[in-house]
Amino acid sequence: MTFAIEMSNQTSARPVHPPMLSGILRALIEADVTVQLRNGRALVLTFLLPLVLLYGLSAGKRRAQLGGPIVDVALAITLGIASIAILGYTATVARDRELGVFQRLRVTPAPTWSIMVSRLAVQIVSMLVMSMVVLVAAALVENVTLDPAAYLLTFLAVIFSSAVFLGVGQALVGLIKSPDAVNAIGRLSYLPLFALGLFAHSTIFGSTFETIARWSPGGAVATLLAGAMQPAALSADTGWALLASVLYAVVFAGIGIRWFQWSTR
Amino acid sequence: MTAAGKSADHALALRVDGLRVSYGPKRAVDGVSLDINESEIFGLLGPNGAGKTSTLSAIEGLVKPDSGSIQVGDVDARANPAAAKARMGVQLQSTSFQSNLTIREIVRLYAGLYGVALTRAGIGDLLADVHLGEEASKRFSQLSGGQQKRVSLVIATIHSPPLVLLDEPTAGLDPQARRQLWDRIERLRDIGRSILLTTHSMEEAQAVCHRVAIIDNGKLLTVDTPAGLIEKHKDDPRVRKAAHGQVTLEDVFIGLTGSDLRD
Repeated sequence: MTFAIEMSNQTSARPVHPPMLSGILRALIEADVTVQLRNGRALVLTFLLPLVLLYGLSAGKRRAQLGGPIVDVALAITLGIASIAILGYTATVARDRELGVFQRLRVTPAPTWSIMVSRLAVQIVSMLVMSMVVLVAAALVENVTLDPAAYLLTFLAVIFSSAVFLGVGQALVGLIKSPDAVNAIGRLSYLPLFALGLFAHSTIFGSTFETIARWSPGGAVATLLAGAMQPAALSADTGWALLASVLYAVVFAGIGIRWFQWSTR
Repeated sequence: MTAAGKSADHALALRVDGLRVSYGPKRAVDGVSLDINESEIFGLLGPNGAGKTSTLSAIEGLVKPDSGSIQVGDVDARANPAAAKARMGVQLQSTSFQSNLTIREIVRLYAGLYGVALTRAGIGDLLADVHLGEEASKRFSQLSGGQQKRVSLVIATIHSPPLVLLDEPTAGLDPQARRQLWDRIERLRDIGRSILLTTHSMEEAQAVCHRVAIIDNGKLLTVDTPAGLIEKHKDDPRVRKAAHGQVTLEDVFIGLTGSDLRD
């Protein structure tokens, strides 16, 4: 079928119906997966950073003071989730918004929510794949193996945790328009959001610092993930971490949705 | 002034009535009304900031009007935006696509968004017809300005929409590319499409548009065929002052909108 043939065969009387939602979502997800796989930086953030952290923690002399092997794995997964959401997702959204990609999508029959849901779904799948890779590496490097229920709970916890950091990412692109500023502030926000969480199970810097670290987004997520990996030892801490994660997700996503603009112009 | 009222004998592709759009305290579109007939090319002429793109954005569903109605064929665009968008093809003023996708993948994405089933060979044929067959594996940013416009037009018409909206479609193109695009626009008209385009180019308005409306400060100032506009306004003192000899469409435009520079 050529354009000329297609043009000559169509008449303006042809009824035009909105496409099916399933077809719209399939097209969007296919494109977003392709973009994700072609984005070398995103792939590095997705897999390399958490694996490097896992190896670094397992080789470190003070590993016991940070909480032990399970916490190491939880921290590595937390870093992966935070990197994908705060650096990868925000950079792509800010850049596409600047280029006018969203405006082009919004003049199609695709519902606006489907444009963002497709992107978020691809990020969550990336986080789940990253978690699997980290868990395999943990089995090899740390000899950390989980029972089937723990794997299931861990993946559920990853989905909950993704909401925290994707919410943070959404808030960043909601409050900041410039892609460069989003990139810079995203990196800066790593410190309070993730790095604090490294000390959520450590009193190296004292108990006050530990409390602050434990209730930071990174700390809450790491505690939640560590609890999910040991369902037999679930404690009230895990429940509080879950509650904190939900609150962070609601607040940050609320900010991100309230102030998000599809165009910078 | 409205562009409505001349279309009683024709089926309408688009009817806009009393459209008002504001950005904060600034009113960008102030009571615009226009009708576009089937198989008509309608040009919206205006200086920068006159309200052309805002009018199009409201029709496209990108901005929410303060008031007014927009009817695309028999669909109320404000009440049923998805159905209206399915009947429209849009080429934005500055378009970009996901930078990591190839042209073939971009066409595939937009075909999917409009519910059009296209095989790989079908996409290749579409691109070959606009002389982009060999660029199918390139990224959008690797194409020249003219090639990018052609890709945008392919995507705007991929679902054979009855109404096509083109926002400054030939801006930044060389004369050859501009002529080619005019040919494509006229081919669309020949097969029954209705086209609303914005332009700064009087030459373009005269070459391809059946009717032209001049818009400034958010209001439609006048509407007619290009020749009709000249005839209607040739004795207007503002137009005569702008003219250097025989009155042209540009003289009418300058006369009605003023000669001050706009942002």
